[in-house]
Amino acid sequence: MNPSLKLALLVLVALEISFTHVWTVNVALIVVSLILMVWGHVAFKRLAMLTLIPAFFGGALVWSLTLRGTASSHFLLVIFTRMVAYVYMGGWFAQTTNPLTLTRSLEQNAKLPSKFAYGFLAAFNLMPKIQAEVATIKAAALMRGQVLHFWSPQLYFKVILAAMNWSDQLAAAMTSHGFVEDAPRTHATEIPLVTRDWIMLVGSLVLVQVGLFIGLP
Amino acid sequence: MKRWHIRDIILVTILAIFMGVIFWVITPLYSALTAVFAPMGLQPLANEILLGVWTMAGPLAGFVIRIPGAATLGELLGAVVEMFLGGIWGASTLISGVVQGFGSELGFMATRYRRYNWVTLTLSALTTTLVTFAWSLAREGYSAYHLGFLLLLFAVRFASVFVFGGILTKLITNLLDRAHVLKH
Repeated sequence: MNPSLKLALLVLVALEISFTHVWTVNVALIVVSLILMVWGHVAFKRLAMLTLIPAFFGGALVWSLTLRGTASSHFLLVIFTRMVAYVYMGGWFAQTTNPLTLTRSLEQNAKLPSKFAYGFLAAFNLMPKIQAEVATIKAAALMRGQVLHFWSPQLYFKVILAAMNWSDQLAAAMTSHGFVEDAPRTHATEIPLVTRDWIMLVGSLVLVQVGLFIGLP
Repeated sequence: MKRWHIRDIILVTILAIFMGVIFWVITPLYSALTAVFAPMGLQPLANEILLGVWTMAGPLAGFVIRIPGAATLGELLGAVVEMFLGGIWGASTLISGVVQGFGSELGFMATRYRRYNWVTLTLSALTTTLVTFAWSLAREGYSAYHLGFLLLLFAVRFASVFVFGGILTKLITNLLDRAHVLKH
């Protein structure tokens, strides 16, 4: 399925089940996402994590609602299945979508301005360097006997200075390689958007609507 | 009104990734807090105490970059980073990211992107709390809680958002100001 439409489907369904109270639809979404993940060869360990963690947090939330609130058992069931459904649908998306393809698709199919698409990509490719920089900043402070925690302003100050430096350099590098904002571009890789993608999007949405509004529990 | 240029886009993304990397370390803390609070039925408190940390990318990006949409984009990209780093909440963090970022954005919008001081950050903390709390009422079923407990949750959430998105952000931007790297 086209990555942009996949994202749209996911966000729309997640939004809709946030405001509706039909646990059978939540369960159906969980089952469908599970089948799609098994189909997409998601590792068993990952699947176990995707099950245990929402079960733990969802269980704790439901327990808390029981003790401190006036929720009916139907409401609790809805909340619990909703948490699991979020995680399963999100897992399906994150595990079966390539970030590069998604960005390309957003630019070509969803008409995201190319300066955003390439700006995001440029920064995301710095990810390992960014992780190393945080470690370096902490180590450098340790050498002077300072321990930097996530609540230390110094840590963020140094991080922001590094971010400003790098964004200046990357932007200059892109400009010097001929990148012009808002100029028309050609694409090395075309991401197809075919009728089948639209049918899958509309079909899935219609199915969810039917499930939500025919009076299922 | 200032427009987005490639440098700002890269800057907000790098900032979001940095925040994502720093906040990665508090995930075990969140699990531990939940485990401690859960038996007494106080699980949401774990969430409320740490919420300010997760929503901090918004006010910080809004304060440093000063372009309409910076707070929302900073928070949303933080969520994207979390999703692809392997965050368990996957794509539902995208929606939370937009909700939280938009909450912070309202504070900057209220001062028309002209004033950058305590007032703006306090307003932003307040709007973040209000918007995210409304979202929790629907999404996490908070509407079923007794009023007293609900008020406690709200107060703790505001305190957390104010400490991280307000006080800590102000301390960071004070340092940046003294280093003359903020545009006025």
